[in-house]
Amino acid sequence: MKTKLQKFKESYFLYSFKRDKVAIFSFVVLIVFLFLALTAPWIAPMNPYDAANIDIMNSEIPPAWMDEGSTEFLLGTDNQGRDMLSTMLYGLRTSIIIGLGAVALQGIIGVIVGLMAGYMGGKTDAILMRLADIQFSFPYLMVAIFMSAIFQVVFGLGSFERLAIPLLTIIIGLSNWPMFARTIRASVMGEKNKEYVEAARVIGLPKWTIMFRHILPNSLTSVMVISTIQVANAVMSEAALSFLGLGMPVTKPSLGSLIRAGQEFFFSGSWWITVFPGVWLVIFVLVINLLGDWLRDVLNPKLYKG
Amino acid sequence: MFAFIVRRVIQAILVMLVISLVGFSIKDQIGDPVRDLVGERVSPAERAEIAEQLGLNDPFFTQYSRFVKNAFTKGDLGRSFLYNKPNLEVIFEHAPATIELVFGTALIIIFISLPLGVYCALRPKSILSRFAMSFSTLGVSMPVYLTAILLIFLFAIHWQVLPSYGRGDLIDLFGNGWWHTGMLTIDGLKHLILPCVSLSTLMLPLFIRLIRSEMMEVLETEYIKYAWAKGLSPARVWMVHAFKNTLLPVITVFGVQIGIMFAFTLLTELVFQWPGMGFMFLEAVHRADISLLIAYLVVVASLFVFVNTVVDILYGFINPTVRITGTK
Amino acid sequence: MKKITYLTLSLLLALSFTVSAGAKTLKVGLDADPVTLDPQVQLSGGMMQLSHWVFDPLVRWTQDMDFEPRLATKWEKVDDLTTRFFLRKGVKFHSGNMFSAKDVKWSFDRMRKSADFKALLDPFEGCYIVDDYTVDFKTKKPYPLVLNMATYFFAMDSKFYTGTDKNGQPKDMLLKVGESFALNNASGTGAFVVTKRQHNVVLEMERFKDYWDTKSPGNVTKFILTPIKENATRVAALLSGGVDFISPVPPQDFKRLDADSKVKLHTIAGSRIITFQMNQNRNPALKDVRVRQAIVHAVNNAGIVKKIMKGTATVAAQQGPKGYASYKDSLKPRYDLDKAKALMKEAGYENGFELTMMAPNNRYVNDAKIAEATAQMLGKIGIKVNLKTMPKAQYWGEFDKRVADMMMIGWHPDTEDSGNFTEFLIMCYNTDTGYGQYNSGYCNPKVDEMALAVQSETDIAKRSAMLQEIEQILYDDAAFVPFHWQNHSYGAKNNLRVQPIINVMNFPYIGDLVIE
Repeated sequence: MKTKLQKFKESYFLYSFKRDKVAIFSFVVLIVFLFLALTAPWIAPMNPYDAANIDIMNSEIPPAWMDEGSTEFLLGTDNQGRDMLSTMLYGLRTSIIIGLGAVALQGIIGVIVGLMAGYMGGKTDAILMRLADIQFSFPYLMVAIFMSAIFQVVFGLGSFERLAIPLLTIIIGLSNWPMFARTIRASVMGEKNKEYVEAARVIGLPKWTIMFRHILPNSLTSVMVISTIQVANAVMSEAALSFLGLGMPVTKPSLGSLIRAGQEFFFSGSWWITVFPGVWLVIFVLVINLLGDWLRDVLNPKLYKG
Repeated sequence: MFAFIVRRVIQAILVMLVISLVGFSIKDQIGDPVRDLVGERVSPAERAEIAEQLGLNDPFFTQYSRFVKNAFTKGDLGRSFLYNKPNLEVIFEHAPATIELVFGTALIIIFISLPLGVYCALRPKSILSRFAMSFSTLGVSMPVYLTAILLIFLFAIHWQVLPSYGRGDLIDLFGNGWWHTGMLTIDGLKHLILPCVSLSTLMLPLFIRLIRSEMMEVLETEYIKYAWAKGLSPARVWMVHAFKNTLLPVITVFGVQIGIMFAFTLLTELVFQWPGMGFMFLEAVHRADISLLIAYLVVVASLFVFVNTVVDILYGFINPTVRITGTK
Repeated sequence: MKKITYLTLSLLLALSFTVSAGAKTLKVGLDADPVTLDPQVQLSGGMMQLSHWVFDPLVRWTQDMDFEPRLATKWEKVDDLTTRFFLRKGVKFHSGNMFSAKDVKWSFDRMRKSADFKALLDPFEGCYIVDDYTVDFKTKKPYPLVLNMATYFFAMDSKFYTGTDKNGQPKDMLLKVGESFALNNASGTGAFVVTKRQHNVVLEMERFKDYWDTKSPGNVTKFILTPIKENATRVAALLSGGVDFISPVPPQDFKRLDADSKVKLHTIAGSRIITFQMNQNRNPALKDVRVRQAIVHAVNNAGIVKKIMKGTATVAAQQGPKGYASYKDSLKPRYDLDKAKALMKEAGYENGFELTMMAPNNRYVNDAKIAEATAQMLGKIGIKVNLKTMPKAQYWGEFDKRVADMMMIGWHPDTEDSGNFTEFLIMCYNTDTGYGQYNSGYCNPKVDEMALAVQSETDIAKRSAMLQEIEQILYDDAAFVPFHWQNHSYGAKNNLRVQPIINVMNFPYIGDLVIE
């Protein structure tokens, strides 16, 4: 019997990974990003979320290597006087937490709904898919406005800052699950008439066991591919919400809200306020997308069965 | 078939009822439309009177049933506070701008992704293929508003070759104000370029990849091997035999993605001051035009249900194993 | 698209022949376009701007806060309650009708019915025609601001608006939502005739060929207004040459405009004060005058003006700017972090406390950024601020409910008089009288009493002294956190002579604009 590790070592998956320089590169960069985000509180020069560190008189200082730059602020400061480097590290951390959380949430909802709709069919399918239509036609912006209003009534204004991350996670998670549901449903429809499912049904296994133990594992490739793309999407959605003023509170910027704030400085002389976080976000999302693309190519079984 | 369509229509009506109900229940959270109708000096008492006149103080159920009744009997989805016109008229007025934006984007996607996708399939290892694939992924990794502002900076400000906002010169297509098109004037077309390009960056990589993988798959089939064996020229095998067979799945995905693209027009329209439906929606949110918002949701939802129904019917034709009658 | 009346159509035709060789088109990008063509439906900056383009008032403000004759050539006080205006002769409306006293009275009477203007006109008893070119305005009590109010008396074409429209409704119906002739058609005496309007997309106007003010140097023949909401897009439109004139210019882009040789930035001091109010009923800590003092001392408003407003605002320590009757030179900005900390300690809040803060993000220039900076500044004296910013459509609803401990409010007095600040922002909130409508937290009966006394005081020196005393009380009491008076900013191509046509009220008189 081969161990799991051995099996993995010999797999086509690893083989194609090792051969693809872009994939290796992306993977390394992603790990670096995750590491930086995880250790941000320890490696960042200052805590940009702490008012004591911020002085408006320090605003818009250019990066250290420019004429008016200061070594205290390596990449310069933003319009409120926050250190860019620290803010980018903290912002990345916030964005990653929201992105991963949102995808986990939409994955769970999407998988359950997709399995049920695909496997049970009939009325369940019709109801669930119409539900997905409703959700789809509500732009996440609507959901965001609605939920933050409810939230304010329930928890009070005072806790908005503390609970902004879970709130955004829920908003983005709740508004994107139909993507998962549809894909899973499609793959379940393809699987459910196959012989192994028939066999499971014949020996009298309960519905839920068949769905989760038999069909789901065979649909996991698509879950994986969508997940990566959806993480990138979630980070971008948060950025878009920030663009409309519905994202993270201004005093605790995420990468998206940082760019939103910086975008106004694009035409002004203070280019670093936009460019650094912009490039930072683009690289981060790019490596996720590149990995996602690679996964899509590798995991699409039709491509390599020859 | 007929039964299927009837059931879908009933479902669509139910969906719209649910959506309008949800819309009605959240509308108070979006803001007070009266605040936007009056100056800041107007006293609360005057505002209350205006709200009363507009029927905004009526109990929830009265307002909702009035809406449903008007919708069913007169096809009237209420009146926009902001535009001061029937909501449907406002929505249809803004639709052409969005449709032309999406249409232009679709053209760009087709003309770039088809040749590039095919090329990538035929020469997967070439530098150009790798570059095309990575570069298109870069496009999708950039927030669309950043792409847009970058394009404006380069093309409108730095080189001053393309306009930065709006739709430019329009022509009244039918002479009755239903459709003002920017696609028939040079100026209008120029205005289309930047918004369409920034929107297309979102979908390009998906299509290049899709066409590439579908094409590669087709190239592996017996059918193509047979064509080679017959000694046909590469151009003929690739273009006639392989390419034709690639198109069908691509078209299916394209149909679905177009629908999704409508949702993404929002930010592009905001940055380019493009007077389309996304722009209208944002304006309605910012100005608390709840009446227009609800009508918009109902219209968009019905569009979605409609598109999905058509797709399901098409699937039924293409793949007979999906039984669209749905009866056990 | 729009129902352009037969009249305007024929005018348009006539114009298209006359306008040829000297045609000068002005493309303008503003953050919003006027909501309607009816000048009496809404009292807002955008509508007032439009009124100055399409209509004319009896008198208007000049750049140095004086009154300039428009449809009234001169005026005199008849008695304590009556002011007489002598009207200009030979003035034509866009429709071709001739302007007379009848139109002034008609417009005034109609304005009294408007929900938005009603309150402003409350001091007036009525308008009386003396002869065809003379009218009397009577007030209920001696009223010092009759001329200030006359800047709101725009003459509408009474004949044009009389009768019924195709739906059988009276043409002059005042309506906010629905079909009405006046909402979509306009006939004034102003420099521009509206030729096309698609709300939120474009408003096109052409110069009125029979405009009475032949001395006006203005030479704009076609005036196209496009609303451009996004700041960056608006600036880009100017820089790319897509428009000739924009307003407002976001402060962060001032440098960019200065650097471009083809465009020029114009600013003028405004009278809109930006403040934060402290709600004593919601947060007990704010009841303590020392805490409020500490907050005022902790806020570096000079820093905000320098860094966030890029110097285009005037640092404030009181409500009314210099030049107002209430202005007291001795009241200085008070940023002093050490003193702020000492005050907190004295009040027993050494370890600070928490408070909630709310501000709009699309109402005032850089409003959200100011709020953010303030939150950081209060953080330094141990006050933990929970800040939420939102679009104004939601913000006003929240303000009405007074949901946060500190709320941002900006105010510009319609009357250009200091009393107006106190009436709306400082007097105890009272739903019956409407006073203190935008007051979220301070209440001092003594100030109320004084503010009411000011209203009917016509002795200028006495009045001034009273207004200044109010400012002193508010200053000592730290009734609110003053920030600055916002400047108005305009970006324009170099060939536009913008400086002469701008004013404190932010009503650029485009009719007088010269394009070189």
